Amino acid sequence: MKNKIKVYRAMNDLSQEALANEVGVTRQTILAIENGKYDPSLILAARIAKFFKVRIDDIFLLDSIDE
Amino acid sequence: MKRNYFYLCVAAVAFFEVAIFWLSVELADPLPSVIAIVLGILGIYLAKMYIDEVIEDERTQKITEITALRTLQITWIGLFLFALWIIIDALGEGIRRFNRPLGIFGFRLLILLCGIIVLYVLLSLYYNKKFGA
Repeated sequence: MKNKIKVYRAMNDLSQEALANEVGVTRQTILAIENGKYDPSLILAARIAKFFKVRIDDIFLLDSIDE
Repeated sequence: MKRNYFYLCVAAVAFFEVAIFWLSVELADPLPSVIAIVLGILGIYLAKMYIDEVIEDERTQKITEITALRTLQITWIGLFLFALWIIIDALGEGIRRFNRPLGIFGFRLLILLCGIIVLYVLLSLYYNKKFGA
């Protein structure tokens, strides 16, 4: 699964640490999600989307293989 | 409490445990060690409640789950092979010259491994039910 967290972080001038604190996870988890090493749970994806005030599928995109 | 203070607390508890273990050995009494371990676990648990920062999240929980499962699988297979090795070794000279203490140890180990499977199945059924199956 691809995501645009890095883009949204840049748009909001937010560090990984700050985003991690806002959504209640560790900085390493945000890093792992951004690098595509870890797919977040639906709850975490929803929290991230809610924080950026967008829909989940605005940030998280399914790869063609996943589909 | 900051995360680093928590790790300092864990280190302090570890030193405390070593000291009490040493005392237990000197007194030849296991009770202080047992009490110290229970108190140490409670202390760490309480300290963990007061951490302001996030040190565990869904990713670390997933890592813990997979690590625990792999550890269980590897340990089980390793101990099963070890138990078989012991039993075959004990029976190696034939039934009449059966190495009794070694053989009994091997069979007890096999029973323990069967117990682990039973526990695994029971917990699996419980969590299957809990999560909607």
